[in-house]
Amino acid sequence: MGKHILFNVLQVLMVMVFSPLAIGILNRLEEIVQSKRGPDIFQPYRDLLKLFSKDEVVPEESSWIFRIAPYIVFVGPVFVALLIPVLTSYPLFWAFMADMVGAGFVLALGGFFAALAAVDTANPYGAMGASRTRMVGFLAEPTFLIVFFTVSFVADSTIPFIVQQKWVTPLSNFFEPAHILLLFAFIMLILAEKGRIPVDNPSGHFELAMIEESKGLEYSGRAAALMKWGGWMKFFVLIIIFMNVLLTPWGLASTLSFRDVLIAIPLVLLKVLAFIMFLVIIESSLAKLRLFRISEFMSTAFVIAVIAMLTSAFTH
Amino acid sequence: MILIVLMIIPLIAAILSALIDRPRFGAVITLTGAIGILVLSVCSIMGVISSPGHVLVSIPGWIALDAFGGLILFLVAFVNMTASLFSVGYMDFSKGGSRRYYLNFNLFTFSMLVVPLLQEPNIVWIAVELTTLFSVLLVGFENTHEALEAAWKYVVLTLMGAAIALLGFLILYWAARHARIESYTWSGLLLAAPQMSPTLLEAAFIFILVGFGAKVGLVPLHTWLPDAHSQAPSPVCALLSGVETTVVLYVILRLLPVVKLVPSLHADMWLVSFGLVSVGAAAFLLLQVRDYKRLFAFSTVEHMGIILTAAGIGGGLAHTGVMLQIMGHALTKSFCFYAAGSVLLLMGTRDIASVRGLIKRAPATGVALLLGGLAIAGAPPFVLFMSEFSILRAGLHRGEYFTVGLLVLFIAIAFFAIMNHVSRMVFGSDETGENSFSMPLPMSCKFTLAVAAVPVAVLGLYIPGVLYKLLILAASTMGG
Amino acid sequence: MAMFTGVTDLVSNLNALAGGLFIVATFGIVVARQVRACLRFFILQSFFLAVSAFLLGMSPFSAHLMAVGAINLVAKVWILPWILLHMLSDEVYTRREIDQVVSIPASLIIALVLTIVACFFSLPWLRAVSATGAPCVNIPIGLAGLFLGTYTLTARREAIPQLLGLLAMENGAFFAGIAIAPDLPLIAELALVFDLLILIFVVAILTRRVHKRIGTTTVGMLAKLREEPYK
Repeated sequence: MGKHILFNVLQVLMVMVFSPLAIGILNRLEEIVQSKRGPDIFQPYRDLLKLFSKDEVVPEESSWIFRIAPYIVFVGPVFVALLIPVLTSYPLFWAFMADMVGAGFVLALGGFFAALAAVDTANPYGAMGASRTRMVGFLAEPTFLIVFFTVSFVADSTIPFIVQQKWVTPLSNFFEPAHILLLFAFIMLILAEKGRIPVDNPSGHFELAMIEESKGLEYSGRAAALMKWGGWMKFFVLIIIFMNVLLTPWGLASTLSFRDVLIAIPLVLLKVLAFIMFLVIIESSLAKLRLFRISEFMSTAFVIAVIAMLTSAFTH
Repeated sequence: MILIVLMIIPLIAAILSALIDRPRFGAVITLTGAIGILVLSVCSIMGVISSPGHVLVSIPGWIALDAFGGLILFLVAFVNMTASLFSVGYMDFSKGGSRRYYLNFNLFTFSMLVVPLLQEPNIVWIAVELTTLFSVLLVGFENTHEALEAAWKYVVLTLMGAAIALLGFLILYWAARHARIESYTWSGLLLAAPQMSPTLLEAAFIFILVGFGAKVGLVPLHTWLPDAHSQAPSPVCALLSGVETTVVLYVILRLLPVVKLVPSLHADMWLVSFGLVSVGAAAFLLLQVRDYKRLFAFSTVEHMGIILTAAGIGGGLAHTGVMLQIMGHALTKSFCFYAAGSVLLLMGTRDIASVRGLIKRAPATGVALLLGGLAIAGAPPFVLFMSEFSILRAGLHRGEYFTVGLLVLFIAIAFFAIMNHVSRMVFGSDETGENSFSMPLPMSCKFTLAVAAVPVAVLGLYIPGVLYKLLILAASTMGG
Repeated sequence: MAMFTGVTDLVSNLNALAGGLFIVATFGIVVARQVRACLRFFILQSFFLAVSAFLLGMSPFSAHLMAVGAINLVAKVWILPWILLHMLSDEVYTRREIDQVVSIPASLIIALVLTIVACFFSLPWLRAVSATGAPCVNIPIGLAGLFLGTYTLTARREAIPQLLGLLAMENGAFFAGIAIAPDLPLIAELALVFDLLILIFVVAILTRRVHKRIGTTTVGMLAKLREEPYK
């Protein structure tokens, strides 16, 4: 019992501590692929430290939404980290607090408040970015729902831990059409949710073309640090869900011993690294889509998810 | 054995006319082959009538001929012969390319001959698809903008129907296998029908009806038909309108007795509705047509609809009417297209409004066109009048008053439309002044008109005994 | 939806996966803008058809189905695209349909609805013969392929995508066929493939002529034949 709580807290700490590292490695790898040197992989930590020590400047016209949004963005992924299998393959203490649908809503809550806050600043770029984010989200939400529905239909449960068990035992389940097709749909969703190419350019500084980045434009000091860190943690959590539940559900601790859990940490980090490398390849080889083609991209993800659902309906 | 020789002749003709590039060689070879095919088919029919069980078997389970197939075979052979005859004169005035014309022509003939001979439904599907493929380049032969557009629409719509029908045939096979059928042939299907699952049979029937219905010209999938049947060279039009649609209809009608054995399917209702819709649409479309070849093409749609309605009405009398109508339509429609082709050669335009007073300027063609128009519209004493009359009578016997009423209305409208256009072309006064003809009608075309006119004129009054027996036997294969 | 007895062994899972990817490739044919991309999706679709035939021929081992898979692989994945690419000029394949009849997301949704309709239609058939295993997957997907091909035919304007829609329809019918008619006589299979090659040949010749005569392969814009006063 005590160990369960300990491992749960360890999970959250791992997400909090290693998410800036993941982003740092991603940025560095992308620059290396472009034949540049790139920033140090620990740069995000230094950025956070710098931001935490600075003063905050708040727009006059903003309301309490602007002030509260960074906290919600930060707490959301922390909350979700309690629910998903990060280090262990058996459910931990808080694992039944919410299921996949609940986790999805919590993650979406942060995005919702961030978009509201961007409108709240009365900065036109913020409002523009917010409306675009909502457009992408509006097309992504149905896909998320279909993915969750199919996964829970196949696994007979909506708790991520139990879903993860389903794919591990008999190995032939791995090749179920629902599984493989959902992998594709989920990757496309991650690209959309986190604003990576081909949906959005994360390293762009041109405000007219920003979708994700515009949410954090007006923040400074501690609020900016929380917004950034929250975004990185959301990214990390999505990768963990993808790798640990869908793609490679192995390598997690299956016993209660502390040693197994400690061994699981580098294994999980290795999986995250593999995903990051795959992401770098995708980002470096595709071009950003025109804004109105994003709806085609999302429709494709939606269609793949529905096909996964249909094929699973006919084989079960 | 005779059946296999029948199939090989057009293949040899095709190969020879493709390889040897002498002028008129293709025409001679094709004509010789056509006469040979006609002779052999008549022999086969005699064989069918005289053999026990009325079936002539070459390869059991694969190639055999029964009465219905024999009727179709004879019609294909006859129209093929008249078409080859007409092509001789027609090709003299085309811009060349007679080698590829005769190559395609013979291959097309081969594919149509093969369909009534085959007994395994899947291979029949392949043969029907081949009839489309081999006729596409013939439809686009003139290489004009309109001809190519017609050819493209033809290919796309017809093959789309064929793909739908393919699934229907596969479902049919599935149902047959599930009922543990012994030999997968038309007759084998008839035997196994009571054990086959009605759901699957219904699905198969609908897919095949819709799919091949596109090829027969059933509304609303008929949009390719007026284009293709008017843009093709006239002898090819005769083949397309006269026998190709009939051959595909034969396949649908072959499936009918199988489906009728399962009473819950209401197959007759489907057929009657599709048929009436086609007849009605065709009748109204005939009113506003501007091109006389399209006129005859729409008339094909109308007659196919009538045949389908009659098959839906059912009963021995209606079935006899169906066979009579099939025979009459094939012979009459091909004659109409020869007349239209002659008019085209003389006047150089397909427009109805530009053609006037044919009876004075080209008496032979004028008379032929008038005869063809009357015959195809269903005027007495021609064959089509007799067949339509017996169909209507059969409908009244079975109590289908509403159907019969609608049929009468539509046929009347079509009659009026056709006669209106044809009589204006034949008798109208020539306002444009003395239009000098581009060329006199070739001898072979005149000869063809004469030859083809004979059955059109005679069969309404007198049907030779052999033919009559064939018709009765064919009607009986459609089931009681 | 009905629940059939789940078959969980590897081969049937892979077959269902092949079916899912078959449909994804068919969706690709429906919406791909560039003609060359459309052709590539068709090659993918035929590949998954062959894979399904191979897999179905594995569990109760049927050399017949293996042969069918091999024939399909050679003919549709290799020879057919080769003929198409070489009979028409390269320029035809670089075309894109910039203004579509139906926008791409709407097309995708319509195609999805058609897929669901196909699944809906095939349920009574599967129940009528109380089928289990392969037909449960192949028939809905095959029927969906048929419907999607029909939609492609009507919604596309360029010649080659229309032709590929047609071939996709036949692929769909075939996909259903390998599960429900596994013992179709080999003669029929060979004749079918031969017939497909003739089809490609004929349509390629026609397309070349259209291209030469009319200057474009956007056949959806050809609309001269109508009941209008003659010029």
